[in-house]
Amino acid sequence: MAARDLVTGGAACAVPGTASSSNPFGALANTILGSSSKAQELKGLPGTSVNVPGSSSDFGPEAPLTTIPGSEYEGQQHQQLDARNSEFLHGFRTADHGFEDAWDEIHRPPVLSHAQGREGQPHFAEFEQIYDHSGSSVLQPTWDGPPQRVLSSFLHSFVDSGRAGVPFRPAALPVLGLSEVDKQCIRDRSCIMARHIFADKSEEFISAQVNALLHSLDIDSDHRIRGPMNGPFRELEEYWNESQGAMKSGMPNSADRWVTEFNQPREIADPEAWAHSFEQLHGANGWASEFEQEQSQMASIGQLSGGNMSNVAAMEQSRMLAHTLAQNTNPKFQNSKFLQFVSKMSRGELIVDENQIKPATGSISADWADEYQAQYNVSPNSWADQFVRGELSQGTDKWADEFAKEHPQHKADDPWVNEFSKLHVQDWAEEFGQQVSEGLFGESSADNWADAYDKYLDEQLLGSKQQSSASRGVYVFSDMNPYVGHPNPLKEGQELFRKGLLSEAVLALEAEVLKNPDNAEGWRLLGITHAENDDDQQAIASMMRAQEVDPTNLEVLLALGVSHTNELEQPEALKYLYKWLQNHPKYGGLTPPEQADSLYYGDVARLFNEAAQMSPDDADVHIVLGVLYNLSREYDKAIKSFQTALKLKPRDYSLWNKLGATQANSIQSADAILAYQQALDLKPNYVRAWANMGISYANQGLYEESLRYYVRALSMNPKADNVWQYLRISLSCVSRNDMFEACDSRNLDVLQKEFPL
Amino acid sequence: MDGSSSSLKSAALLEQMKLHLASDAGKDLTKKIGLVYQLNIAPKKIGMDEEIYVVDLKEGKVTKGPYKGKPDTTFSFTDNDFLSIATGKMNPQMAFIRGAMKIKGSISAAQKFTPDIFPKPSKL
Repeated sequence: MAARDLVTGGAACAVPGTASSSNPFGALANTILGSSSKAQELKGLPGTSVNVPGSSSDFGPEAPLTTIPGSEYEGQQHQQLDARNSEFLHGFRTADHGFEDAWDEIHRPPVLSHAQGREGQPHFAEFEQIYDHSGSSVLQPTWDGPPQRVLSSFLHSFVDSGRAGVPFRPAALPVLGLSEVDKQCIRDRSCIMARHIFADKSEEFISAQVNALLHSLDIDSDHRIRGPMNGPFRELEEYWNESQGAMKSGMPNSADRWVTEFNQPREIADPEAWAHSFEQLHGANGWASEFEQEQSQMASIGQLSGGNMSNVAAMEQSRMLAHTLAQNTNPKFQNSKFLQFVSKMSRGELIVDENQIKPATGSISADWADEYQAQYNVSPNSWADQFVRGELSQGTDKWADEFAKEHPQHKADDPWVNEFSKLHVQDWAEEFGQQVSEGLFGESSADNWADAYDKYLDEQLLGSKQQSSASRGVYVFSDMNPYVGHPNPLKEGQELFRKGLLSEAVLALEAEVLKNPDNAEGWRLLGITHAENDDDQQAIASMMRAQEVDPTNLEVLLALGVSHTNELEQPEALKYLYKWLQNHPKYGGLTPPEQADSLYYGDVARLFNEAAQMSPDDADVHIVLGVLYNLSREYDKAIKSFQTALKLKPRDYSLWNKLGATQANSIQSADAILAYQQALDLKPNYVRAWANMGISYANQGLYEESLRYYVRALSMNPKADNVWQYLRISLSCVSRNDMFEACDSRNLDVLQKEFPL
Repeated sequence: MDGSSSSLKSAALLEQMKLHLASDAGKDLTKKIGLVYQLNIAPKKIGMDEEIYVVDLKEGKVTKGPYKGKPDTTFSFTDNDFLSIATGKMNPQMAFIRGAMKIKGSISAAQKFTPDIFPKPSKL
């Protein structure tokens, strides 16, 4: 059987006994066929719509705003929901012929006419079944009525302007009768959307765009953008923060919310319940859901730009994975939340994106599946290879190219088009081929996936607070601080620091800087303490506050240079090290008077070498040089510099640690451990050195040893997040999965008992 | 600046990886895994301005530029997300589910792409 027949015939084929009954190849075929027919429709038939009756033909992205009626619906959109929905359902049922024709015309490309009889019927039956099943309880906000459509088209054009990168022009709109709640909703969401869409633009540009939008909608923009949002949109803010935390990687925003929605505890198997909650959520936010739906539609034809695309892409990717994993027969796996998630997901797509409806009928296909299985057993690899590299793959590439060409508003190198086509076809096909040829996942790895999904879902429920709190460069204070109200917290903090009680010292110093926010010494010592406690993020945040108050303090500048080096942030590190030189009373003269726009590493290194020649007995210059060579990864030179400095300052424990870390990074772990030992002899509670010890053992593959050092470091600073991560890696390397729970719940008592030093 | 035509933070880690693979622990790794991974690392957004590295755990080396031949698995992620994965901050499955990591090629090979194959950077 040719690959092509397999694919086209596969849409109606279910894999017996799996939760996700749609055959993956069928899904693939649908994706290809559905998308390309959609593309044709867009190109040739601007007036036709895939939407069922009740939707209008001018629904497309370029719909002219002013021609849309709607003012007569003013203020009625919520009250009228029920009436209009039954109207819609009525219309849907009576218009069966027209609909079927339209459906077929759009979904069956002429090339594959032989597949029509087999595929078209189940398709339609499935669709109708869904509507019958969920019946009148499904409120479809999409068909809400003209004011919604005006809004959505308008928002659409806003998104389009984002793609084109041109300023958004305000437009004269009919009166939409938005309630205060609606306005608040639009205001808040558009601010968030804008930041996603214009992730690469300046704050001013984003503000201007949002203002233009809000102005057109007659919404005052007072509460916009800055400041945390309250009330029902707090969760959006969290998603926003999270997505920012992930460096604008386009964290699933709407997708996340969507997942959370699905994960509400309820009867999973009951579509009515699901439909009900959908109604609750989306009925109340009419335009928002419509907006989202349109986005999915746009995405499905490869049109969407900006961060939203990756939301959809992420969903797509999980879905593809789901298809493959659903074939796993491990009972634990089958009962996991993951699979429930999958089934929810596919049900969700039926509503959210009509283009993604999957036929679920399977009676005729059992034979086919057997045949297919037999084929696989004979020559799995060749078939998979053929599939991946063969004509189909080429065909889809071509299709992607053509698609890009046919849509002049997308350049051929539009990354989204590329990403989309890649996601849909090649990755997935290859993955699938591999899966089957290797006889599915092993049990343990399936468990891993299931666990990851479970964790992911839990995270969604909890709203992942951890990440949102620590935005870069902002100091995070401890919640409970017994030193607040202490008469002299600075003195107390210095005392604790000297005793080596670093975590206690942090609290006292926090109390100090809360009391005296302009105390540079308080901030500086706090920064030093955090660095010794192995927390560079907080160290940087403290040192930046110290530097605000005292911009030329050399110790602060050096500390900033070191911490940024540890965080692998080269440009920042270089900037502060250069400032150190500039502000040094002895060496400042070496730097050129005019401030260069960008620093070149070579220039800075040259200046420091000059400084070292000027006064070879100044340990500090050698220390900075050592840091600089770390930045450029010239570890041998760095080691020499630190060794020179140590001859001048043999009792500087942080210097011993710097030497050790450099040796460790150049994979001289045995030497590194000796250096750390020196540091710890001088300062027994030096958390950073303990943690570094653990790293050195782990990097040598001595995971058992590394555990003890990590646990020791954590017992002194339980807040050292990265050490917890490393501990978990080492635990898994020595297969101590029994300790995962203690690690995840940060139960130090158990861990210290298990891994004493 | 040595080897730093790259502005990526990951470049530092991969440099360390290069040295690591020459050590005993690194050689064990090639014995244990024996797969070739291609990493497409983007500064900010997946697919944009990617720098390509190959972590070849068959030959035990790290090179810049696309693999000549077919890597077992190709990963795409941002600079920060790669570091999060390599340092255990985010597990690879989670990264995949979140759309922070794209996988092309064999998933079973991808499953051996775990944080323990990367050396951990030590702190000055």
